[in-house]
Amino acid sequence: MGTFIQQVFNGLTVGGIYALIALGYTMVYGVMRLINFAHGDLCILGAFIGLTLLTGAAGSGHSGAVLLLLAFVLAVVVIAIAGVVLELVAYRPLRKADRLSAVVSALGASLLIENSIMLIWGPDVHVFPADLLPATTWSVAGANITFVQVMIILSSVLLMAALYFFIHHTRFGTAIRATAIDQDTAKLMGIKVNQVILTVFVVGPALGAIGGLFVGIYYREAYFTMGWTYGLYAFIAAILGGIGNIPGAMVGGVLLGLFNAFAAGYISSSWQDAITFALLIAILLVRPTGLLGEPDAGKV
Amino acid sequence: MSGHTQSQPVPPPSRFRVSGLAGPLLWAVGLAIPAVFDSSWVAIAAVFAIYAINALSEDVILGRGGMFDMGHAVYFGIGAYVTAILNTSFGWPIFATLPAAILLAAAAGALLAGPLMRLRGDYLLVATIGFNAIFVLTMQNDPGDITGGSDGITGIGVPSLFGLSLASQSAMFWLDWVVLGVVLLLMRNLDRCELGRAQRYLKQDELAAATLGVDARKVKTQTFALGAGLAGLAGTLFAVQLSTVSPASFVFTESVTLFAVVIVGGPGSVPGVLLGTALMFVVPQIFRDFAQYRYFVFGIAMIAVMVLRPQGLWPQRRRRA
Amino acid sequence: MIWRLTAGAVSAFAILASAMVVNAATASEGAPIRFGVQAPITGSYAEEGQGIEKAVRLLAEQQNAKGGLLGRQIEVTVCDDEGKPSQAAICARQLVNAKVVAVIGSYTSGAALAAEPIYAAANVLQTSDGTSNKLSEQGFKIWFGNAAPNSAEAEFTANYLVNVRAFKRIAVLTDHSSFATGLADEVVKNIAAVHGNVVDKAFVSADSQNFTPVLTKLKSLNPDVLYYSGYYSDGGLIRAQMQQLGMDAVFVGGDANQNVAFAKIAGAAAVGSVIVNVPAPQDLPYPAAKQFVADYKAKYGVLPPSVFTLTNADGMRAFLQAIETTKGTDASALEDYLHHVKDFQGLTGTFSWNDRGERTGSPFVAFEMQADGGYKILYPEPAK
Repeated sequence: MGTFIQQVFNGLTVGGIYALIALGYTMVYGVMRLINFAHGDLCILGAFIGLTLLTGAAGSGHSGAVLLLLAFVLAVVVIAIAGVVLELVAYRPLRKADRLSAVVSALGASLLIENSIMLIWGPDVHVFPADLLPATTWSVAGANITFVQVMIILSSVLLMAALYFFIHHTRFGTAIRATAIDQDTAKLMGIKVNQVILTVFVVGPALGAIGGLFVGIYYREAYFTMGWTYGLYAFIAAILGGIGNIPGAMVGGVLLGLFNAFAAGYISSSWQDAITFALLIAILLVRPTGLLGEPDAGKV
Repeated sequence: MSGHTQSQPVPPPSRFRVSGLAGPLLWAVGLAIPAVFDSSWVAIAAVFAIYAINALSEDVILGRGGMFDMGHAVYFGIGAYVTAILNTSFGWPIFATLPAAILLAAAAGALLAGPLMRLRGDYLLVATIGFNAIFVLTMQNDPGDITGGSDGITGIGVPSLFGLSLASQSAMFWLDWVVLGVVLLLMRNLDRCELGRAQRYLKQDELAAATLGVDARKVKTQTFALGAGLAGLAGTLFAVQLSTVSPASFVFTESVTLFAVVIVGGPGSVPGVLLGTALMFVVPQIFRDFAQYRYFVFGIAMIAVMVLRPQGLWPQRRRRA
Repeated sequence: MIWRLTAGAVSAFAILASAMVVNAATASEGAPIRFGVQAPITGSYAEEGQGIEKAVRLLAEQQNAKGGLLGRQIEVTVCDDEGKPSQAAICARQLVNAKVVAVIGSYTSGAALAAEPIYAAANVLQTSDGTSNKLSEQGFKIWFGNAAPNSAEAEFTANYLVNVRAFKRIAVLTDHSSFATGLADEVVKNIAAVHGNVVDKAFVSADSQNFTPVLTKLKSLNPDVLYYSGYYSDGGLIRAQMQQLGMDAVFVGGDANQNVAFAKIAGAAAVGSVIVNVPAPQDLPYPAAKQFVADYKAKYGVLPPSVFTLTNADGMRAFLQAIETTKGTDASALEDYLHHVKDFQGLTGTFSWNDRGERTGSPFVAFEMQADGGYKILYPEPAK
């Protein structure tokens, strides 16, 4: 029983991180129908920026919590700006073009960011300082649950809820939803589509930066190729939940984390990823537009 | 992509003749590469030919079929592994493994097409990514002790033709170049045959195509089988060129590169795909001296190409469906 | 359309031709002795690849400062194989065409394997830290592995786990890489040979960070030791996650866990972890090793990323010694010398090569991480 509960928490923690990153994916997709392959790299760039502040201010005498808060703020601000620049330079000119052109532009941006990280910070593994957060561990029915795990799970739920409220219960959220449904009609209704898209590129990457920094804090390491892996998993989570759908990203992320945990824990660790992907494909075959996605009426 | 703007029903004869001749001419000039360049460039040219076939096969599915295939390295890998296994474990000559490599890859394509067809757009894309991950892990886990695990398979033999051993890099290059020529002819015929037409109808409007009596299921299965089979062919050549295969050559990032080659070059356009291949595989070789900065610049270049030429470097000629 | 075609063709050939001219120019002069580096300068293994390049450049610079090799300057040509077999084969041809005498690299077994037959055909010496058995099985005379083969490390490890520490329930963990699975398989085989008990052999996906699921499963099997054959970036994290899960098995890691980052990533949990390897670069007892690490630090401002930087440096140093002793760059003479050299004084210990080019006679040790970040050799007990 302890083992089972432990596996659930293992899955929930990593699932929470996937979900946070997936939220950025799904928001951008919902509005622009663009798979932003650079999103994972933006997240890890956020981790590196936070790390630089944390290591730079290590001897400054501030408490871990204050530094951490500052690191989050800095990472969120810088990555939100980077997101906007990305939109203006790499995606806006392609708004009217075939959507695959924008996908390849995003792949180029991914390479660019990944290799920028390598050139700036070097190719080695960077380690986050220890003792930023309490090392408290609770024992629940034989399972060990740490403070960081609980923090990640709670924060991702809270951020998801806030985002859901923002999208569904504010005027700006309504504009985003209208733009997502039909850009041309939204324009006719007086919605400033460009402004909506810029907002999406502020909020999505900002959430991603938080996700990236969580990765760094939880695992205490960061290196330049990490963004690709996390971006891919988050993208898959978004698809699994139904891309464009905000609760879907959350559900997809958590399910992906759980699949991975159960595949390794109960079936076979050597086939862990294969089992995860097989489950994903099986779910898509039953629900071709993801778990919470709306049925596609022939639109590609 | 293929817009509705009509060009003239029949291209002007002069243009037709010139572009019809320029391709074969360039190909023939290419045959002289081993006479002019040193062996590392001959090797690069050989790899170019192999990846060009691979990219053209991806274009069959992605560019012409309009299906988002981001797991194309699977079929390439199947071809390479079939040749490697049959040659090293069963002693088949290389050329005898070729039909098996093509057929097995094509069969895998047709088989996967069944479930994949139910999915659209990005969902299809993720499913193909999934198949790619499963394929690589299977090769690494080595079920039945035939794939050599993470090390892969070494010591793949040299092809011989009529008792003539094609051992030198130049001979291998000519083999690859000739096969590329055959594939180019095939692509040209594909444009004119029934499958090519049906693909264009389907891509433009699936519903309308159905009313015209196009069997979408059949066309999509054939498209996958053809694309996969050609990738299998490229896989055989790849195994021969390297004389070793390992899972690292067929990972997901390779599929992404093929995907990008097609879009950067121009989906559905043969010269475009060739140009895209040259850009993605040959240009990085030239800038080896900048090793660390190479992919940084490459990323910028990819964005720049797409922003400046969203249809690809050499877009498909607009033609009447 | 036609102008485009012609322009395309002309520019394509212009690029190729200009590249060829550059090539020809660099290959024509004969004076310097050229060494090749084939390593992953970009991609996932960039850190290790760049470390190899730096080590080789440092050695060349030092040799040149001493008046060169046989009175000739050493030049280093680097080719980035990205850790990919297909690029490795192209690199091999480029280095052969650049007329290198010997090649150091590559870091990964896969890339080294794809290049090996090309070096063999051109009679260019190759030294690499690759440990895949396939590298030595092909019987190429040009091959000189500079890291000890898996079999030697596995034999030492099995004996240490079963006979020295008397562990009763051994869990073996690996990633999917060629190196780590090869080592794990050998360790399992050797444990069986000394009648030890492996409770499970499990896998992690390298770079996924999320190792708690497989560790939770292993914990339920109550092992008294967990042996991990993969790399330090994952190994350190595995050690940390073991502690997080309350797993009290001893951590024993293979040689690729030997990196300064291991202890940093594992944090407090690193203390008490055991690593099997030749001694760490900065802890190597040999003065030459200490000097090399100091020079490396002075030139590049960082420590070598791992012991493999040093083993590759040893490969290069052996080549330098061979050229100086045989007073020439004739490949067969060099091969003959290296296959018969007795007790080569490497930075990573004294060793020789057998006729398959495998490194022999490396002193493995099992050492334990200390609270002060240092290492204490546990076995064999250091002679006082």
